[in-house]
Amino acid sequence: MRLRPRLQKVLSDLAGNRQRSLLVLASIAVGLFAIGVITTIYVVGPDDMRSGYAATNPPNIAVQALLFDRCAPEHIAQTPGVRQVEAVRYASTRLQTGPNDWAAIDLRTAKDLANLQIGTVTVVNGKWPPGEREIVIDQYKLPDTNAEVGDMIELETPSGKTKAVRLVGVIQDLGIGAFRGAGGFFNAPIQGFVTQETLEWLEQPQPKRYNTLLLTVQGDDQDEVYLESVAQQVREELERCNVQVISVATRSSTEHPNLFLSQAILAVLLVIGLLVAFLSGFLITNTLQAIMNQQVQQIGILKTVGARRYQVMGIYLLLSLLFGALAFVIAAPLAPQVAFPVIDFLTVQMNYIFYGPRLVPEAVIAQAVLAVLLPVSAALLPVWQGANISVQEALSGLSQRNPPNQGWLDRKLSGLRRRSLLLVVSLRNTFRRKGRLLLTLVTLTLGGAVFIATFSVRVSLLDYVNQIVQYFLADVNITLDRAYRIEEIEGLIRQVPGVKQVEGWMFARTEIVLADGSVGESVSLLAPPAASPLVKPILVAGRWLQPGDRNAIALSELFKDAFPDLEVGDTLRLRVEDKETDWVVVGFFQLAGKVSGYSAYTSYEYLSELLNQPGRAVAFRVVSQSPNLNNLEQEALGQAVEAHLSRNGIRVVDMTTGKHLLKTATDGFDVLTSFLLFLAILTALTGSIGLTGAMSLNVMERTREIGILRAIGASDKALMRIVLTEGALIGMMSWVLSSLAAFPISELMSDSISQSMFGGPANFGFSPIGYVLWLVAVSALAVVASVMPARNATRLTIREVLSYE
Amino acid sequence: MLIQTVQNSRNGRAIALPQPLPCPPGCSGEPLIRLRKVVKRYRTPAGDFPALKGIDLDVYPGEFVGIIGRSGAGKTTLVNVLTGVDHPSEGEVWIGDVPVHSLSENRLALWRGRTLGIIYQSFYLMPSISLLHNVMLPMDVCGLYRRGQSEQRAMELLRMVELEDHAHKLPSAISGGQQQRVAIARALANDPDLLVADEPTGRLDSGTAETIFEVFSRLIEQGKTILMVTHDLSLASRVRRVIRLVDGQIAEDSNGL
Ligand SMILES: Nc1ncnc2c1ncn2[C@@H]1O[C@H](COP(=O)(O)OP(=O)(O)OP(=O)(O)O)[C@@H](O)[C@H]1O
Ligand SMILES: [Mg+2]
Repeated sequence: MRLRPRLQKVLSDLAGNRQRSLLVLASIAVGLFAIGVITTIYVVGPDDMRSGYAATNPPNIAVQALLFDRCAPEHIAQTPGVRQVEAVRYASTRLQTGPNDWAAIDLRTAKDLANLQIGTVTVVNGKWPPGEREIVIDQYKLPDTNAEVGDMIELETPSGKTKAVRLVGVIQDLGIGAFRGAGGFFNAPIQGFVTQETLEWLEQPQPKRYNTLLLTVQGDDQDEVYLESVAQQVREELERCNVQVISVATRSSTEHPNLFLSQAILAVLLVIGLLVAFLSGFLITNTLQAIMNQQVQQIGILKTVGARRYQVMGIYLLLSLLFGALAFVIAAPLAPQVAFPVIDFLTVQMNYIFYGPRLVPEAVIAQAVLAVLLPVSAALLPVWQGANISVQEALSGLSQRNPPNQGWLDRKLSGLRRRSLLLVVSLRNTFRRKGRLLLTLVTLTLGGAVFIATFSVRVSLLDYVNQIVQYFLADVNITLDRAYRIEEIEGLIRQVPGVKQVEGWMFARTEIVLADGSVGESVSLLAPPAASPLVKPILVAGRWLQPGDRNAIALSELFKDAFPDLEVGDTLRLRVEDKETDWVVVGFFQLAGKVSGYSAYTSYEYLSELLNQPGRAVAFRVVSQSPNLNNLEQEALGQAVEAHLSRNGIRVVDMTTGKHLLKTATDGFDVLTSFLLFLAILTALTGSIGLTGAMSLNVMERTREIGILRAIGASDKALMRIVLTEGALIGMMSWVLSSLAAFPISELMSDSISQSMFGGPANFGFSPIGYVLWLVAVSALAVVASVMPARNATRLTIREVLSYE
Repeated sequence: MLIQTVQNSRNGRAIALPQPLPCPPGCSGEPLIRLRKVVKRYRTPAGDFPALKGIDLDVYPGEFVGIIGRSGAGKTTLVNVLTGVDHPSEGEVWIGDVPVHSLSENRLALWRGRTLGIIYQSFYLMPSISLLHNVMLPMDVCGLYRRGQSEQRAMELLRMVELEDHAHKLPSAISGGQQQRVAIARALANDPDLLVADEPTGRLDSGTAETIFEVFSRLIEQGKTILMVTHDLSLASRVRRVIRLVDGQIAEDSNGL
């Protein structure tokens, strides 16, 4: 067969220089691997979130109302556009998690839990539905209860007693945070399911009545306007039967409550994915060019024995393809091994269901395309050049058409020889093939820039999260069963040892009143004293509250997202405890974006007056004498305060530490920062292997020169100096370029993150850590990548080195 | 004077050797090269191939030795083993009092740079630097000359091989014979006492070959020792001592052909 000896040549090329072949393979494979991982996460992540959420038949409309039993769901179901209706009762209480420890819990009940129609749940473990005096709890915050299936759980009754129910099952409810409250998924308390009978036993008032109506619509559930119109009719219908509607909210069937987070992750993935695709492309091109350069002589030989151009090209394209195919075989099965655990992590953190590892055609195709197309197109140019050079040029191993002694750079370098001829040799080597140098630099720069940017964004995001602590400066946050005189409570709390400062705060659950008079989203309105030192806001516009302000209000940035036209100085209408009141917006502050929902601050002085409770407060903020308490110490102080209040006949309905509030507020960011860390590691891996490969191949190309230098007396030290100079030079150049390129990349990444998280641009600063880390990595890798092949070369006898190809 | 003598740091320690061959006429004292039972086997897929089968050889300072033999006889192998470019499988190679067979690659490199000039059939010039720099390179690497001195010296060496006009060209821009002359100039850069050349004229026409031979003759007059592998019997007939290799063994060792 005519092809056989040529094919044999290709194979022996692969096997002949094992170290080099492995480097080429690793460089290509790591690029494919990164693309495979990113594509898999990009495809499977949102897919599972969307389909899993849609599979629960989520409500498109949620109506909150005062307890009602009129207006049967069957009646509302007649409203045009409504497909299904389910009446639900939510009750908030506390469950005991330790001797003096409590955690907030939302209890949900419906007439027939076994046949939930809307917002169905997935049974994770144990029994569903709960029977009498039994409870089933959602998995996400189950660890907060310190209970396992089979344990008894103490729930607090409205009168302050505790009653025990048995935890019989664990479910996953993908709808947490979709509607209730202003906090979204991460701020939602523990979710429990009980029957109406259990609710009655728990002494909740009127247990058979409902306070929430969940509805699905007929027709296009993706159409916001349509959903609004159906919701409006439902509200009118309810008001017609004298049900007092508190709020109405709509949501499409695919909009998982944490979709925004998923979008942030996808946006980052897209940026990084594209860059990594480029990176892999350059990596593959670079490596194959390195191979081609070493094959020039062989091409000459092939041509002297009569090989025609297409035959020469065929051989080397085949070689490139073979590398691509081998790399694909390595990378394709490896990528899911990493991608799926990451997806699993994300699904747990973001409360959706991972449907398990599967073949992801998009990822396989992306890898296959890169593995086949890229190597071939990357090899095409050098193969074409190689196939076209004359036999004489090829055999002498030098391209006569590009005599290297041309540019100003070379003349500059020659001038350097006063310092050391060896330095000139290494610099010449570096700049000899400018095309190759450029390719190597682009590869290394991309890898480094993506790493630096990812790391930088992550660190600045963490910095940002740490700033949020400024909203939770109190060590202990206490909520009482009703408003008490501040002086009285403050006096009592100050009797607890270790207490330095006490502030009485008001708060109110309010709803936005829209222009057409209808009620919109809930807003949690907090009212610290105007001069309170316990809140140090991150202002994005306007100012903070000042003593003497009347109906001034500062809004979280989420308002900007929902009402883009709302400006400082505008008036906002809120319904506060059934009264519609107008507020003047004095500023916008940044909290945790969509993670923390709609929240607003006004001054205690004004809100207490508005609620006819002057001098009284429901909420108290306690600061310890010793600064920087950890969560456990805060917990201990809180329990002491709670116990002391109880002894004096004052009922505490909630005690939460500042650290705990902070953690809840920033949980959503944790997912993101963990994920960014993962991406940073992934790009560092790709970049490092690319760097090592490119540099090692460079040095390997020098092997014959090392032999010559050896023959004329260069010592190990002198050789190492040459190789290291070159490695360090390339490393430093790429680092400088990476540092510059990292700016726009991290800008792009933090913009897309904040677009998803805050609905607008946010300013994340730069972090030097990424730059420093990459500098360290580049230096270390440059040394390793240069010294290893150089050491190999110095170990060989000169005869072996000189016959090296 | 053109070629300066550089003091080598030899300690002159006498080493007892088995039955030194008689010193030929014109030689002085101890042999410069001593090969004892040198065997070189190449590992090949078909098993070990013995390219040198027990070579004993003494070369004295000032000798001009020609090595001849059929292709495949082991000439290049002998030269490689002698210069430390390759290690012998068995036996000892001494140059002066240096045990070449037991030095590490690193020690070999330094020693070689200072005491030995090697000229290869395929030149092996550094392609990325000029001819002048190529000649300066050994001086730079071994540090025997100060910088200003080394450039001047390199220019003189290039003049000797009649290439000073091309000093700033790259190796790729000159002919093969010219490249070989640069390689000779480079081999002489550190003024070594011993010059080893593997078919230095193999690729050159007879006229050019003659020039190079003349350069060698002049070096012998200056007291250098030269070992030259050659196929050119007319050249071989003009050296003082000829060694003929057959199948890895010395078949003939005579004073002239
Ligand atoms: N690296 C090697 N591996 C295996 N065998 C080798 C190797 N190098 C040389 N040989 C064999 O050793 C023998 C001597 O080779 P050498 O190169 O010394 O011959 P030579 O006398 O220099 O020939 P020529 O005049 O053709 O240059 C030859 O038979 C050759 O095939
Ligand atoms: Mg030979």
